Amino acid sequence: MTENVIETKGLTVYYGRQRGILNVDLTVQKGEVYGFLGPNGAGKTTTQRALLDVIRPVSGQAWLFGLDCQKEGVTARQRVGYLPGELSLYENMKAYQFFDTVEAMRGKNGDKSYREAICQRLNLDTGRKIREYSRGNKQKVGVVVAFMNKPDLLILDEPTSGLDPLVQQTVLELVREAKADGRTVFFSSHILSEVQEVCDRVGIIRDGQLVATERVETLIKQQFKRLRLSFGALPPADAFALDGVTETARDEQSVTLEIRENLNGVLRTAVTYHVLDIDTIPVTLEEVFLAYYGGK
Amino acid sequence: MFRLLWQELQFRRNGIIGWGIGVSIYTALYVGLYPSFDDQLALFDLADMAFYQAIGITEMTSFAGYVSSTFVNLAPILLSIYAIISGSGTLAGEEDEGKLELMVTLPIPRWQIVTAKALATAVALFLILVIVGIAAVGTLSAIASQVETPVTAVDMFLSALYMWPLVMVVAMISLLMGAYLPNRRTAALAATVIFVGNYFGNSLANMYNALDAIKPLLIFTYYDNAPAVLTEGQAIADIAVLVGISLVLILLAVWAFQRRNITVGAWPWQRAKVV
Repeated sequence: MTENVIETKGLTVYYGRQRGILNVDLTVQKGEVYGFLGPNGAGKTTTQRALLDVIRPVSGQAWLFGLDCQKEGVTARQRVGYLPGELSLYENMKAYQFFDTVEAMRGKNGDKSYREAICQRLNLDTGRKIREYSRGNKQKVGVVVAFMNKPDLLILDEPTSGLDPLVQQTVLELVREAKADGRTVFFSSHILSEVQEVCDRVGIIRDGQLVATERVETLIKQQFKRLRLSFGALPPADAFALDGVTETARDEQSVTLEIRENLNGVLRTAVTYHVLDIDTIPVTLEEVFLAYYGGK
Repeated sequence: MFRLLWQELQFRRNGIIGWGIGVSIYTALYVGLYPSFDDQLALFDLADMAFYQAIGITEMTSFAGYVSSTFVNLAPILLSIYAIISGSGTLAGEEDEGKLELMVTLPIPRWQIVTAKALATAVALFLILVIVGIAAVGTLSAIASQVETPVTAVDMFLSALYMWPLVMVVAMISLLMGAYLPNRRTAALAATVIFVGNYFGNSLANMYNALDAIKPLLIFTYYDNAPAVLTEGQAIADIAVLVGISLVLILLAVWAFQRRNITVGAWPWQRAKVV
């Protein structure tokens, strides 16, 4: 039986009259890496803050490890590592002092060798004062804080923000390792490639509402297929003017189509024009995402 | 809780040292200069000078009167600046800076966060006053041969510590404002208005009998700065009232902080009704 590490039902947050999130129902299962996608202001951070009881919902409920986020939040948060999107640190501290402080406040003495190993992998010099760090190094400090106790659940808000590509890959490796350990990751991002790279499932939030939740590969498959059809002699321009089919490119030998439905019709038409070859062009999550937002 | 308190004290270490030294210098300057112009002060009759009475300076013809007017009366005002900065910076300030978000996501109940911060502020104020008290004792010792007074070193030290309940109330008013109002600036402004209103309200109430009715509402009513207080100490009942007010303010701050949406910073009437 699968265990829900995160569950929300009808979770709604308002900031006064301003919408935060509306009726968000989501579940994240143990050992899963869940990508939470959406543009700025869609409600990603609000959802994460509601899960951590930073802000309270006006209606609905949220649970972490089956524990009510508000009533039993303290117990639940013992198993959570969090990286906020807007990270603010104690600038006068050295990084290692900050790590010790967080551990002291957690009431835990974590595995320092693991912490040092993460710092080494991120190439973070912990002996310097935080105010001397670049934005990227400050972000690394936040990453270490989130991961250092090997929490059962990682809630990461745009974890690779401000990091250079190599370090971004290291963070994604840490996420993969957490998954390999059977831990759960709730990962918000607007960088679709990284979500595609590490996530099992993805939820897309739009104007505060969860508009889709799907396995990454299923979402890609479900949305549309892109085919490039090669011909000896090109068919006329309106040959593929079928319902659910859009011609996106045409050159001297081939036609590229995006197909949401009516694949049979496309193939029938292609055969009548003596199709020579059919290529499937991979659809990126970014394109699926833009299709959601662009109403393509 | 103890670890959190310890961390909060660590955060206040520079403030304790800086304000301790700063108020000590003020104390040493004022008290230490007394022998230089005690002859002139002996002729300084303040009984009919409304302005001086309004700022709590009632008598300067004796060493005890001078010390009560300058040190006992004005040092808490100086320390109240720290109390307001520290109190309003504690919740509202940390929220403004974004530091509070990470803290509230740690497995710590919110009431413990507020309580630890309130206790750390209380201990910080106490330690500052210990430093100031030591400076006051040192200054008195330095000028003892030039001053004839029944005020002892112990009296000087205790008079510093007696400021603690008053400045503690100011800090807790600021803490409560920080837990309730949307940002540090507003919290500090509100606390300052309350503080200034209390200070001048009390001075005016001391001058005009018609204002007697408001006296119980003013915190300075429970802090005596008459010369006799140096040797006799503050009334236990007054200390108890101030400590009681501080405790109520901490409870209110806990209540406000429990209900607060962190990182939002809205006015209370703009906040959505929470389930």
